Amino acid sequence: MKREFRRLVSRPLYLFCMVIAPLFCYIFFTSLMSSGLPTDLPIGGVDLDNSSTSRRILRNLDAFEQTAVTARYESFDEARIAMQRGDIYGFYYIPNGLAQNAISARQPKVSFYTNNAYLIAGSLLFKDMKMMSEMAGGAVSRATMYAKGATEKQAMAALQPIVIDTHPLNNPWLNYSVYLCNTLVPGILMLLIFMTTAYSIGVEIKDQTAREWLRTGRNSIYISLAGKLIPQTAIFFLMSIFYNVYLYGYLHFPCNSGILPMLFASLLLVLASQCCGVIMIGVLPTLRLGLSFASLWGVLSFSISGFSFPVMAMHPVLQALSNLFPLRHYFLIYVDQALNGYSMVYSWTNYMALMLFILLPFTVMNRLKSALIYHKYMP
Amino acid sequence: MKKIKLKDKIREGMQDLFYIWKREFRTTFRDQGVLIFFIIVPLVYPLIYGFIYTNEVVREVPALVVDNSRSSLSREFVRKMDASPDVEIKSICSSMDEAKQLLKERKAYGIIHIPSTFSSDIARGTQTHVSVFCDMSGLLYYKSILITATNVSLDLNKNIKISRAGNSTNRQDEITARPIEYEDVAMFNPQNGFAAFLIPAVLILLIQQTLMLGIGLSAGTAREHNRFKDLVPINRHYNGTLRIVFGKGLSYFMVYSIVSVYVLCVVPRMFSLNQIGSGSTLFLFMLPYLAACIFFAMTASIAIRNRETCMLIFVFTSIPLLFISGISWPGAAVPEFWRIVSHIFPSTFGINGFVRINSMGATLNEVKTEYQALWLQAGFYFLTTCFVYRWQIINSRKHAFQKYREMKKKSLEKQ
Repeated sequence: MKREFRRLVSRPLYLFCMVIAPLFCYIFFTSLMSSGLPTDLPIGGVDLDNSSTSRRILRNLDAFEQTAVTARYESFDEARIAMQRGDIYGFYYIPNGLAQNAISARQPKVSFYTNNAYLIAGSLLFKDMKMMSEMAGGAVSRATMYAKGATEKQAMAALQPIVIDTHPLNNPWLNYSVYLCNTLVPGILMLLIFMTTAYSIGVEIKDQTAREWLRTGRNSIYISLAGKLIPQTAIFFLMSIFYNVYLYGYLHFPCNSGILPMLFASLLLVLASQCCGVIMIGVLPTLRLGLSFASLWGVLSFSISGFSFPVMAMHPVLQALSNLFPLRHYFLIYVDQALNGYSMVYSWTNYMALMLFILLPFTVMNRLKSALIYHKYMP
Repeated sequence: MKKIKLKDKIREGMQDLFYIWKREFRTTFRDQGVLIFFIIVPLVYPLIYGFIYTNEVVREVPALVVDNSRSSLSREFVRKMDASPDVEIKSICSSMDEAKQLLKERKAYGIIHIPSTFSSDIARGTQTHVSVFCDMSGLLYYKSILITATNVSLDLNKNIKISRAGNSTNRQDEITARPIEYEDVAMFNPQNGFAAFLIPAVLILLIQQTLMLGIGLSAGTAREHNRFKDLVPINRHYNGTLRIVFGKGLSYFMVYSIVSVYVLCVVPRMFSLNQIGSGSTLFLFMLPYLAACIFFAMTASIAIRNRETCMLIFVFTSIPLLFISGISWPGAAVPEFWRIVSHIFPSTFGINGFVRINSMGATLNEVKTEYQALWLQAGFYFLTTCFVYRWQIINSRKHAFQKYREMKKKSLEKQ
């Protein structure tokens, strides 16, 4: 163990990978999405009517939190070109004669266009512009009803008999930061653990210090491996405690189960990732190939863990394969524990899976030992 | 001393350039590691990502219904929700507790609660509220359930209004239902496909990252094989900065022009992603992008001392770079500080420009800012690469001269 500590501090590379890079990523992701929901996304308005009604519609649209009418255009083509330039994410088109036709009950038609190549921006703007269009139609009817003597309650009941109340459980602010950072941050740590573990074992083979390492462990691969990995476990667990405290204590993300189950889950993730790293370098003792395997697995975990695009919607083969990634199990544990506050019993399959990862390296121990002793480094 | 004419110097430079170009080309193809990064990763990664997101949309999200009203109107609501493509009503539960339990067991992702006064309120002419509870583990689930519930309620509202209005003609019915008609048009990616949204950005980022990794790998290898751990070998041909930078740059450019054609034209076609850009615009756009990436990678590779450290340093940056580019998180919502930082990387401008050209059909005129920025970056990183390599050449000459002096001293002592 002492040997490993000396090795860890001897190269600034280790400090970078184990401490600086995770810290940078924690701060990066949380500060990037610190506003939670994007606000004041720029849209354009094409107002060919120029009546007080159309001006009111655009003003009300601007008042929505997520929308900001930043520019007015004279024609559809101008607005489309602005959208292609990236100045606006969508625009609202009001045809000529809107107010006149609405009052004369000739059913004018407005249209709105969203840029769904930027999916998140497009969806949020779609929601706001659709609501605006509904309200615009409702305003006309409401004015008529007030004129006929209806009360506000009667008018609203006549205009919108069925109202949908939405209750997003445990993330009522629809905070994107809560939604994404809780898996991105552990994911980055997991990726770095994969690579550091694979590197620290593989580099011993490369520098031909592997036999000396085995000798310090009294020729037992278990003792040598434990001696090498335990200091790294300590450092990585410290980093994971830091991010748990940062996310749940400082930023007050929902943590309905208390911080202890999350710390336990983080510890399991750290151990499982290290064991995955051991397997990767055990299967491919060449440093370069082991690291490639580790980076492939790590980067794929982000997509396949299902926190952005649900696993349920993926191909059945991928749904089964997703269980091979520790981040997937951590994500499911996080959803059950921190986000929803269910008891640990509901995610026992995921806990079992993570513990299985920890047991896996025993299968490659012999191969690793012979690789350490006999393998010649081939660039 | 023989006077060296400028013409001779240029001729010598061109010869050395071709020599370095050929040498670098050969190194690229002999080195298995670089080959993996330059050829295999761009070949395989897009296929994997395309496969993961190939379904593109989330359909038939399982949801539960707690129907306390049990009237024909509420049953119509439930039926319409089930009929929509995005939601599937898994079961109708008898109580909220039963529904909550099923939610805990991950059997469904949302609960729709219809109050007992649903039908009687509508008959009486007061507002009634339908509650939708949604598990927030995936925002796509929330979106599907909410949009479906909203659409069904709008549809039912329209029917209720028409039946109450007592109009005499169909046209009057239409106007009662919608005094102001509206139409929503989703331009560019109308099907809200997740792959069509994310994969173009991933492809461009992949080009930059594999270039960084491959060039970093070969730089680290060159250092390891060098006697003094220098980047530039002691070779008569490696005397001038420009010839080294151009020679190496040209060989990478050649390899990557073929790779880019595969990644940017063939892969989207394989996965039926939106492709409405014109080929010439794309070609003109990729020229400065590749140049900027290559020179950026060559400048960054100076920090790599060993063959494998490039992986440890560069791989984890892929995820932050994807977020900072303005695709996953709208560029307008990125804090000012990170936006300025993002201007350092060619991938930011590359991703935005490529998405506009490819998915939005923009011409070079519309991506003017990105295009100019990429040329600026290519020029700037070219200068930094020249500066860095000049410094390395001076260093290697210094080391060689020192070694020569030491050896001379030793041989003198021996005598």
